[in-house]
Amino acid sequence: MLFNSLEFFVFLPIVFILYWFVLGKKLKLQNLLIVIASYVFYGWWDWRFLSLIIFSSFVDYGIGVLLSKETKQHKRKILLWTSICINIGFLGFFKYYNFFIESFVDSFSFFGSELSINTLNIVLPVGISFYTFQTLSYTIDVYNKRLEPTKDIVAFFAFVSFFPQLVAGPIERATNLLPQFYKKREFHYANAVDGMRQVIWGLFKKVVIADNCAKYANIIFNNSDDYSGSTLLLGAFLFAFQIYGDFSGYSDIAIGISRFFGFNLKQNFAFPYFSRDIAEFWRRWHMSLSTWFRDYIYIPLGGSRGSLNKKIRNVFIIFLVSGFWHGANWTFIIWGGLNALYFLPLLLTNKNRVNTDVVAQNKMLPSFRETLQMLATFFITLVAWVFFRADSVSHAFSYLRDMLNFSLFSKPALIPYTVLFLVAVFITIEWLGRHGQYALERIDKINKPLRWSFYLVLIMLMFLFAGEEQAFIYFQF
Amino acid sequence: MKKFLKQFALGLLAFIIVNAIIAGIYEYPTYKSVQNKTNRNYLKWEAIHKNKNSLDLIIIGTSRCYAAFNPKIIDSVLHTNSYNMATSAQDIAETYYSLQEIFDYQSPKYVVIDMFFEASDTSYDYFQTFSNSSFFNSTERKLNLVYDGYGTTGILNYSIPVFKFNNYIKQDLASLFSNNKLVRNEDTWIKGYLYDTQIVSDDDISNFQPIENFETSTFSKDRFNNYFNKIKDLVKSHNAELICVRTAYPPTRIELTETDDEATYFTSYLTEEKVPFFDLNSFKSDQYIYKDQDFADYHHANYKGAKKASLQLTDIFKQINKKQPLKQ
Repeated sequence: MLFNSLEFFVFLPIVFILYWFVLGKKLKLQNLLIVIASYVFYGWWDWRFLSLIIFSSFVDYGIGVLLSKETKQHKRKILLWTSICINIGFLGFFKYYNFFIESFVDSFSFFGSELSINTLNIVLPVGISFYTFQTLSYTIDVYNKRLEPTKDIVAFFAFVSFFPQLVAGPIERATNLLPQFYKKREFHYANAVDGMRQVIWGLFKKVVIADNCAKYANIIFNNSDDYSGSTLLLGAFLFAFQIYGDFSGYSDIAIGISRFFGFNLKQNFAFPYFSRDIAEFWRRWHMSLSTWFRDYIYIPLGGSRGSLNKKIRNVFIIFLVSGFWHGANWTFIIWGGLNALYFLPLLLTNKNRVNTDVVAQNKMLPSFRETLQMLATFFITLVAWVFFRADSVSHAFSYLRDMLNFSLFSKPALIPYTVLFLVAVFITIEWLGRHGQYALERIDKINKPLRWSFYLVLIMLMFLFAGEEQAFIYFQF
Repeated sequence: MKKFLKQFALGLLAFIIVNAIIAGIYEYPTYKSVQNKTNRNYLKWEAIHKNKNSLDLIIIGTSRCYAAFNPKIIDSVLHTNSYNMATSAQDIAETYYSLQEIFDYQSPKYVVIDMFFEASDTSYDYFQTFSNSSFFNSTERKLNLVYDGYGTTGILNYSIPVFKFNNYIKQDLASLFSNNKLVRNEDTWIKGYLYDTQIVSDDDISNFQPIENFETSTFSKDRFNNYFNKIKDLVKSHNAELICVRTAYPPTRIELTETDDEATYFTSYLTEEKVPFFDLNSFKSDQYIYKDQDFADYHHANYKGAKKASLQLTDIFKQINKKQPLKQ
């Protein structure tokens, strides 16, 4: 079920009414309702894959219980690795099986041997990368004794399958989300209003910005051979806003909906395109995934401590794994590698934590230096996005070759004025709201009639400029 | 909770009011034209509903079709009683349900459909579609068109004016910032045909683009095949004969077109389906030579082009009815 579908607009009020008006005082039943609603939400796409979520939930719940009883370290380790193997095994099979087979066959043919191994026609279960990481975080935290294992199976199942963030995150940590299922939830007017605002903003990002940018980004990327450098740059620019609007829009909707039900999810995006260097960008982009990798891979590997080689190794590992997480394609791996290359100089010169505050704090406009820094960071991000979006590595290289030449200074063959105008409006609103968790968070300082008019304009823009309905990009991850 | 629900209800109310205003602005001219009996769709359907079983030939399709076939010319040559039931931006699903409605009141011997990629693409003009179908007498058919034809998107567009008038609102908003106000001659309708005296300007000709192909249009083969088969069965079940045509394009566009997917696809598909198909760009091209000036714009014929197209259609009938005259 898509957030921007008619089905969801029927589904959500039903769940909301049952949750607050029918089961309002019964915590366990509320949790059970969340499980059922989440399974309906997920099963709407393909009910067969519900079995995977249920199985994964059973495995991690069981292993959590066993870990709480087990005191011998080597047995605890076996339990942890059982969970990791099962979860990563599923992920590996559904997401990476064909990639490995194809790469294996390709590498053999490169050395002159022809192998014949058939790939499988595997359907990738929506959101598998998200809920796998979520359940893994639980088991790892229980293993590391950062979290008490839960004995409440319904709460655990609700934590794994919580529908607002089930298929595209934010990837919640058990330490943050799971305890919220134990506590009685109260309906807070301010939270609900804030949630509603965030949902509206998320929908605007998805329906108006991402879907409209997608239309032209697709045309340009699909016919990149025919276009000049300036048009290709425009294509990369539009894709940058497509993916940002799409993914951060989904996160905003997920966070906003969760607030209707009394839950607080973590911020997933913090205005990444206003970053002054790539390290800041990665602190602001898909934060729930970046911190997951930081806490469960980077730091256990030693992080930024140790020898120079170790530092370089760790940076490459985390970025390459991040690229690989996004998809079974060499384009994603190169995208990750490129970001590692961007990041390394900052780390090695100890400048990776220079820009930790909000850009142009308490000022209306950035300084000249900040503007240049933001533009430079945005540009190198665009180059990386080309790999992310391209169909193949060779397509990405040919796209960049055709983009970075003198035709970059010609007039683009295709100028979607309306879309560019909408993106400009979007950037302005994001800039004005960059001090909050999301762009509209502090809008309540504006007087009511103006605020309401603004909401109405946003909603009308959504209806007027709704692009063709497209599934969220991150579903495929 | 009460406060939240109250605020939510207020928001919803504001949204409904804005939509009601939009509906008022855009529906009122239609309402007035129906009252004054000048609405073209109203007049078309009145001709169908009132004079039962009087028509021999129904011509149907998009605006390209209603600008091309003049029933008066056709009837004068073939001695028939024909009617042009084409409507603006008519979609293939709309054609199917319109024909259902027509067959409830008429028993035409022939149905001529104009083939056009954009009639089976994925960008619909819901206002035109629902405006046309609002004159169906059968409510069930209207609902079938909305849901079967367009699914949940159809329901949304049917019930939410800001969706339904989306393109028109955007056009009107854009026109606020534009100096190019198009002044058109007053429309004259003859048995569903638009007698258009507009002649395409040289400027427009210099901006002509090639005819849409698979890449530049969102033509959906599946959607077309699905509804075309339904149309074929429907026409057959009413003992009528189906003839497909493709109205002409300005020659400059034909020259610009390297791959004419539209012609190729319809020719091969309709040959396979054993449905007679005539491309007016090439049918008796030695006799009917189109010029750019036979068109009102990049794809609508004007009265000059319509004369040629209508006479071509009469020739088509003469060709397929050599042994069996159209009018007994």
